[in-house]
Amino acid sequence: MSNSWSPFSYVVTNLARFIRPNEITFSGVNSSMPMLACLMAKRAYDWDYIYINVAGGVDPEPSSIPLSSSDPVLAENTASIFDNEDFYDLCTRGRMDLTFLGAAQIDGEGSANNSVIGDWHSPKVRLPGGGGGAVMLPTAKRACTWRTEHSKRTLVNKLDFRTSWGGFHGVVTPIAVFIKRDGRLALDSWHPESSLEEVRERTGFAFDASTAEPTAYPTSSEIEALRSLDPHGHFERDAAVSMRIAAQAAP
Amino acid sequence: MPSGFKFASKNISLVELVSKVPNGASLALGGSFLHRGPFAFVRELIRQKKTNLEIIKQSPGYDIDILCRAGIVKKVRAGIVAMEGNFGLAPSYRRAIESKVVELEEHACATLTAGLRAAAYGVPFQPCGGLQGSDIPAINGWKKMDDPYGQGEPVWVIPAISPDFAIIHANEVDRHGNVRVYGTSHWDRIMSRSAKSVLVTAEKLVEDQIFTDQPEMTLIPYFMVESYSIVPQGAWPGSCWPYYEIDYPAVEGYMSSLSPEVLEVHLQAASERLETSNV
Repeated sequence: MSNSWSPFSYVVTNLARFIRPNEITFSGVNSSMPMLACLMAKRAYDWDYIYINVAGGVDPEPSSIPLSSSDPVLAENTASIFDNEDFYDLCTRGRMDLTFLGAAQIDGEGSANNSVIGDWHSPKVRLPGGGGGAVMLPTAKRACTWRTEHSKRTLVNKLDFRTSWGGFHGVVTPIAVFIKRDGRLALDSWHPESSLEEVRERTGFAFDASTAEPTAYPTSSEIEALRSLDPHGHFERDAAVSMRIAAQAAP
Repeated sequence: MPSGFKFASKNISLVELVSKVPNGASLALGGSFLHRGPFAFVRELIRQKKTNLEIIKQSPGYDIDILCRAGIVKKVRAGIVAMEGNFGLAPSYRRAIESKVVELEEHACATLTAGLRAAAYGVPFQPCGGLQGSDIPAINGWKKMDDPYGQGEPVWVIPAISPDFAIIHANEVDRHGNVRVYGTSHWDRIMSRSAKSVLVTAEKLVEDQIFTDQPEMTLIPYFMVESYSIVPQGAWPGSCWPYYEIDYPAVEGYMSSLSPEVLEVHLQAASERLETSNV
């Protein structure tokens, strides 16, 4: 294998690495990469966990991998339907071990803006909204997020609007993995083809990197699991993740 | 007037069903994003040129977008709005909010459910977990209460939300209007319990015995349903499990341009339109 790790695989694999044995783990709407991470963890690791999703599936075995992360195929071969009210209630009563939640902007405390760019009352851009975030981020045991763009406009010092508070446990971008430590996001590792300097240069908030190191390359079972979910690279092409957008030259 | 809907002839045409909705009504729409939404009903709202509608749904997408595109929405209460399935933001919704043509009451999905639960439970407000540190409660003027029993942390309380109608697209109904859905019910159950009336479109009309053999499969009992219409492909271009999947080319066509012509072509191509044109 060449020494190249695609940013798409980097994000999905590092999301999967947040999943732990036997824990209740949830993936939601608008969340193709966490959906792939959850399905990948089922195939890549020699332990199992409890996978629930927004389609109502409980440890489903979908016959195909859908474009929509809320597609009903994600409830195929499930023995029960755990529906929308159920998984929110599970979370607010403190029994959601891990949930994946989207974010447009993330600050150094791991809060999220999913609502607007600009002023809420006169938005420059009206964003989708946080869905479960404002309720799930403070009540889940752990919540993790991902951004396919790592820049000072996505990883910000100050959010335009704080849709959700509570502090992400983990944040994955195409070049870095952050983990919460003492109430702040700290750099855990960087893409082995990036660098600590590049992560600092492209991040809007200050962070501790005292224990950070290059991210471990994917294992053969991680590579095989993701390939089995996306054998023709459709998801990878659709996601169109790059390590650097046009304005971000390699250092 | 009795509290339930018990009469024959609940089975009416889609045109008649939609004509029960007055201008300015509040509608809770079932389903989620591109899945089992009452989309034929939504398109008929546009054809009938309704005005000033209030739309209530935790995760609307195609439905709120096409209603905003047609200019018949006044207010939306929602938790997350997107087309999903790789289609990104809902462009006509986004334009309507940014230009302030449509008023947004931004929720977390669970706060909207809490408001619906308050109405369903017959109480003026409902506590909702979470929300600590979020800017959402302040923009909505929501209040936080101490636990009157002194045992727990303070909680936010969400005022009751009672839609005029819950609009549900179902897999099956029987002649009385009992309702069945397959797979997840999304938020359809709490919508049906919180609304003043329920209007249903369904893929199929089935024999009574299908329901009486497995009554626990019934999501909504007939007495809560004011009327229904049999509309095959009524969730098009979305999915209706297990009958059909998302029609991605049709959604792409809808998204290809914001021009009125594209909207018109899309409305003409809808299956319920083809059905009626054959009559």
